Amino acid sequence: MELNICHLYPDILNLYGDRGNIITMKRRLEARGIKVNIEECSIGQSIDIDKHDIFFIGGGQDFEQEVLLRDLAAGKGRDICTAVEEGKVFLAICGGYQMLGQYYKTWDGNQLDFIGAINIHTIGAKERMIGNYMYRTTPESGGSIVVGFENHSGKTYLGEDVAPLGMVLKGYGNNGEDQTEGARYKNVFATYSHGSLLPKNPALCDFILHTALARKYDGAEPLTPLDDTLENRAHDYMEERLRHG
Amino acid sequence: MKLKTRLAVAVCKASGAVLRRLGRGGTNLPGKLALKIDKNILGELSRGVKVTVVTGTNGKTTTSRMIEQAFADAGLKYFSNKSGANLLTGIIAVFAQHCTLSGKCPYTHALIECDEAAFRKTSEFLPVECLVVNNIFRDQLDRYGEITHTLNAIREGITHVPDATLCLNADCSLTASLAQKIPNKVLWFGVNVPIYENAAHELSDAPYCIHCKTEYQYDYITYGHLGGFRCPKCGYHRREPDVAVTKILGAGADSSDIELSICGHMHEVHVNLPGGYNIYNAAAAAAVSHVVGIDEETAVSALGQFECGFGRAEQFTLGKAQARMMLVKNPAGFNQVINLIAHDKGTCKLAFLLNDRFADGTDISWIWDVDFETLAGQEARFTRILVSGVRADDMALRLKYAGFTSDRIEVIREYDALLEQVGTDETPAFLMPTYTAMFDLRGEIAKHTDVKAFYE
Repeated sequence: MELNICHLYPDILNLYGDRGNIITMKRRLEARGIKVNIEECSIGQSIDIDKHDIFFIGGGQDFEQEVLLRDLAAGKGRDICTAVEEGKVFLAICGGYQMLGQYYKTWDGNQLDFIGAINIHTIGAKERMIGNYMYRTTPESGGSIVVGFENHSGKTYLGEDVAPLGMVLKGYGNNGEDQTEGARYKNVFATYSHGSLLPKNPALCDFILHTALARKYDGAEPLTPLDDTLENRAHDYMEERLRHG
Repeated sequence: MKLKTRLAVAVCKASGAVLRRLGRGGTNLPGKLALKIDKNILGELSRGVKVTVVTGTNGKTTTSRMIEQAFADAGLKYFSNKSGANLLTGIIAVFAQHCTLSGKCPYTHALIECDEAAFRKTSEFLPVECLVVNNIFRDQLDRYGEITHTLNAIREGITHVPDATLCLNADCSLTASLAQKIPNKVLWFGVNVPIYENAAHELSDAPYCIHCKTEYQYDYITYGHLGGFRCPKCGYHRREPDVAVTKILGAGADSSDIELSICGHMHEVHVNLPGGYNIYNAAAAAAVSHVVGIDEETAVSALGQFECGFGRAEQFTLGKAQARMMLVKNPAGFNQVINLIAHDKGTCKLAFLLNDRFADGTDISWIWDVDFETLAGQEARFTRILVSGVRADDMALRLKYAGFTSDRIEVIREYDALLEQVGTDETPAFLMPTYTAMFDLRGEIAKHTDVKAFYE
């Protein structure tokens, strides 16, 4: 078996150690004897929808956003929408998550239109939602507890057809109001969690990888368990700290 | 001197003395109290003093120690904020401490290391003669926010000191942009040649032009986003530095030798600390000496004499082993330490200490942007791979995914046990703590050896 991963805008959307997610997917696939190819796709390069099984989009700074929106408007945004509709697996973090949505409205009313691949929108708030946090993914996303770090001023609201990735146990999540965190639509997994997300949340990582394998290889077998001692220690440390802190 | 200024000085001095008596380095409280009594206290106390300020993301403390050596050797009557109290309140306390009770400052010069974000406010009050901006890197996003916020804070601070001469890093496209549309004199420093043959794989913190957002082209890169940048679209480019490192003559584990041109005069310079980043710091310090009017011989010899301490390649004997403590704070700085270790070919022990307290940055995601893979590729050279600190488990996991053998990664939570392991045999060690871990570790070492407290 083989999976092709496309890392979108790795030179711009790389704010919070997002590289760790790519490293983790690669290592956990290779540990099971599954071949992995990783390709980077940035400004001015077109994406190959058919070739790739997983698309990864990280978070970035406002400074480069203009460059990014220009590039998305030149065609890549439309391609991403197509890939989402075809059921390709997406993992989008923070700024990358917001970008898949309909728009971002700043707190003083300016609206930035995004690509609308999923029906969510984000409203800027004056106060940042920042800190270690924790949520439980819904049963449809594996039902595991995810620990991470969130740092966003945008409040994201889910529209019709979009489910949350999980429900907040500690912290803010999507907007600090409705307890939802992240988004699921078809095979899109979106979240505010960096940290990096996947290394210390191996259950979620494997769920995402299995989703991609099951789509590509009809009814793929469950992934064989790995030695996750270090992964679980890092996970459990933060879970404990958040429960008792 | 106004009565309230006198009162503020008295309160500041007294509370500082009490805190030191208690053995506490609480360097912010006295300044806070003084500021409450007289909000212009810093302006009053610094009147007539020629102030040199050092700011930027990485290298503030080391550069300050280099400059300080030159000040001392040149016989200037100066003081500095040695303790690393680099926020407004800490700087006030240092000035108060060096003034008489009537608020008179008997020193001609002050050397002040200043936090990037705090510079905006601090510069309102200080008669700055010379300002150094070392570099701007991504650092503690939970605290400083985006890199452009840091840049803009410094930019705003500069508007308060139009008479100051700026020493700016010509190789940093972000720092260099500070020179535009300001009346200040600028002295550029930089490195004209690459430093490492095989440098750590790094993300650039500034790949796109600060002015027109086109991707930069580089003639060469020294580290991070530093080097010979130019924008193919708007033409923004690296300026030829006035104080330039023109050749790397030798880069060892303990020091570097460089050829340095100071406004056209060539010098061979011994830099008393290892690492490419300290070569930049040396160039910055030489630039300051030029601005302040210290003769070149004194400036150059200071670079081979100064001592830094406080975790900046600080050396200790721990049991049977020699250890070097290398403070790590952000990806750019950590990658520089990795470059240094990777180019030192002998066997050694590694110890990583990761904390996530406020001063470290509460978000530890940055460790995933550090090129530990380069070290993992040399794993056989490392006799022990030790991990400690509040977030030791995350650090261990990072090393595993970098490619280190899981079984060889040892998590040791207690610092005394960690130090004991470091000292069990003669293999030298590199200790790499984040900020608060560095203080705690030095505290633990001080129990056994003679280490200065940070406020001394």
